[in-house]
Amino acid sequence: MSVFDNFFVIKISVKLLATYRKKLPEGTKGCTCQIEVPTHSVVRHIVEQYDLAFDETNVVLLNGRVTDPEQKLKNDDVVCVFPALAGG
Amino acid sequence: MNGWHGKILKINLTDQIVEQEEVNPGIAKDYLGGRGWAIKYLYEGMDPSADPLSPENILIFATGPLTGTPAPTGNRYMVVAKSPLTGALSNSNSGGEFPTWMKRTGFDLFIFTGKSSKPVYLWVNEDQVEIRSAEHLWGQDVHQTTDILLAETDPNAKVACIGPAGENLVLMAAIMNDKHRAAARSGVGAVMGSKNLKAVVVHGRKNPLMYDADAMQKLSIEIAKEVGVAVKAGSALREYGTAYVPQVTNELGILPTRNFQSGQFEGVDTIDGLTLKEKYLIRPKPCYRCPIACGRLTEVAEGSRYDGKGEGPEYESISSLGSACGIDNLAAITKANYVCNELGLDTITAGMTVAAAMEMYERSYIPEDDIGKPLRFGDADMLIELLEKIAYRDGFGDILAEGSYRLAEKYGHPEIAVTARKMEFPGYDPRGSQGMGLLYATASVGASHMAGDTAYVEVFGVPEKIDPLVTEGKPALLKRFGNAFVNIDATGLCVFLALRYVFDADINLWPTRLTKLMNLTTGANYTPESMLQAADRVFNLERMFLIRAGFTGKDDTLPPRMLHEPLPSGPAKGYVVKLDEMLPEFYQLQGWDKNGIPTPEKLAELGLSEIVN
Ligand code: SF4
Repeated sequence: MSVFDNFFVIKISVKLLATYRKKLPEGTKGCTCQIEVPTHSVVRHIVEQYDLAFDETNVVLLNGRVTDPEQKLKNDDVVCVFPALAGG
Repeated sequence: MNGWHGKILKINLTDQIVEQEEVNPGIAKDYLGGRGWAIKYLYEGMDPSADPLSPENILIFATGPLTGTPAPTGNRYMVVAKSPLTGALSNSNSGGEFPTWMKRTGFDLFIFTGKSSKPVYLWVNEDQVEIRSAEHLWGQDVHQTTDILLAETDPNAKVACIGPAGENLVLMAAIMNDKHRAAARSGVGAVMGSKNLKAVVVHGRKNPLMYDADAMQKLSIEIAKEVGVAVKAGSALREYGTAYVPQVTNELGILPTRNFQSGQFEGVDTIDGLTLKEKYLIRPKPCYRCPIACGRLTEVAEGSRYDGKGEGPEYESISSLGSACGIDNLAAITKANYVCNELGLDTITAGMTVAAAMEMYERSYIPEDDIGKPLRFGDADMLIELLEKIAYRDGFGDILAEGSYRLAEKYGHPEIAVTARKMEFPGYDPRGSQGMGLLYATASVGASHMAGDTAYVEVFGVPEKIDPLVTEGKPALLKRFGNAFVNIDATGLCVFLALRYVFDADINLWPTRLTKLMNLTTGANYTPESMLQAADRVFNLERMFLIRAGFTGKDDTLPPRMLHEPLPSGPAKGYVVKLDEMLPEFYQLQGWDKNGIPTPEKLAELGLSEIVN
């Protein structure tokens, strides 16, 4: 990767919880993995990258907060997805 | 009657007399059953200002019209009384198998009044009802008690009982059924203990009659199939139980950590559902006829200092006995959960009370001499030791047995207790979930998530996701959730299934399918509107019980930590509960005056004028 590439790539974390954990790369410890994505990526792209939908069947959080699907990502952002489901 | 048996068993423990009472069909319909019937009988049967541990208190076991029917999760019952922890209402719900068997005795409700002079248990085998001596059971834990009772009654009977905690009038004592299931909150076990009632054993074959059995069967199968499809596609509840939740609340910054000093726990990965599944799960364990099976049969293997076998832990127990106490060892948490179940303790209040004591020790508010040893966050062995001491009111446990509010007050630091109506918070820090703040402040049982859990929407996205940090719209949301929970608790279903499958899947929570289930079961011609009006009636009568017990709008509040200490980190950093922004609107929506008292017009609209005057 050239120095130049850093301008086009950002590093973010993806957290997949509950049953979506299995979609994380094998060998992932815990429920978080770090990935690099092109700058100008938005939250929806990440969700779709894991074959998930940004719709009412899922809860999608950006840094723990509710988010717009078209929200642009920046370095160190955390995108978290889990199925909408009752709990405890 | 259909659905309801229309029969109540009244047990006068003082005089050891048992009577049956028929229920008027109009009353049956207006109050739905379960929690609804119970408040009617409680309100009319006792002085709400009576001492909750005196013989004047009334203890009610209440099944609903859907309990014991083919409706999936129609396996619940409610325990209702005046609470010794809060001085307000107890409304504790439990599943398992006992509730269905209780319904099969042919009675909808058991109402216990007075106090037996000696320990007794009640054995109901349909119309054969006996009050028997329980002197040989006094002092036995929940497992031993259950085993002995099954041996001396019928091996196919079901048992609800108290452990040593209930006998010793511990204010966080639970009533355990089927060994591992708990009607846990607000000290119902102490009420049972105060009556010298050790256990209730039930057996019978009287399934409730159905108004339209075929159609009911069909609709029940349809619902079960829908659940089945969802479970097959991957259900977190089936796979991890509610133990998958710590990761979710931690991500939102609302996982109770070190007595609510923060909302994120660094040890969350080691206390979550995956760890539970990989290390300790034997298999999922459903309540009777439940297609979800969120229960966990677990074992911590021999050789571990925390070895044992039992059920759980659930999310609530993981947060109270785990993160709230700064404990990241799931084996220890699981063991602590077993200990609570065996001694008959509410895991939430027990864990949160120890958490408060840990904070007070660390701040030097409690002298070490009083405890006998250091009591720091993260000390799992001390947690387990103290749980035992609480149940037996031994040493420092005697102080903890009164709950965190009285503990903190005793040592001159009431601000440390995280309670509403003196009851400990469950596992959602309301600073990052504003609707839950309004719920804890106003619920007639005190800080309970089971009285209108807006976390469904704010945390879990069911039926839709709404920003947990905003206050706008939360009063209306809580009103709808409050009513839905009354509907669920009164009819006899489990919340986990009901909220997704018997209400319309949008934020209005319209009870379309629940109404159908009720009509096929009872034939009582409910409409969704009349179902909700009945919920409103029950809710307001509960409120009137509190008012008569001496509560006012001033008690609809939260502890200082929630109102004035912002969360220090995470997504909800900087937030407190903005109760002022929500409370007046909530009163207005309820038809209550500015002091939180139902207006005469509201009471008249619900047909409550007569009963409350
Ligand atoms: S969802 Fe869980 S708690 Fe509810 S009835 Fe089923 S097993 Fe019991």
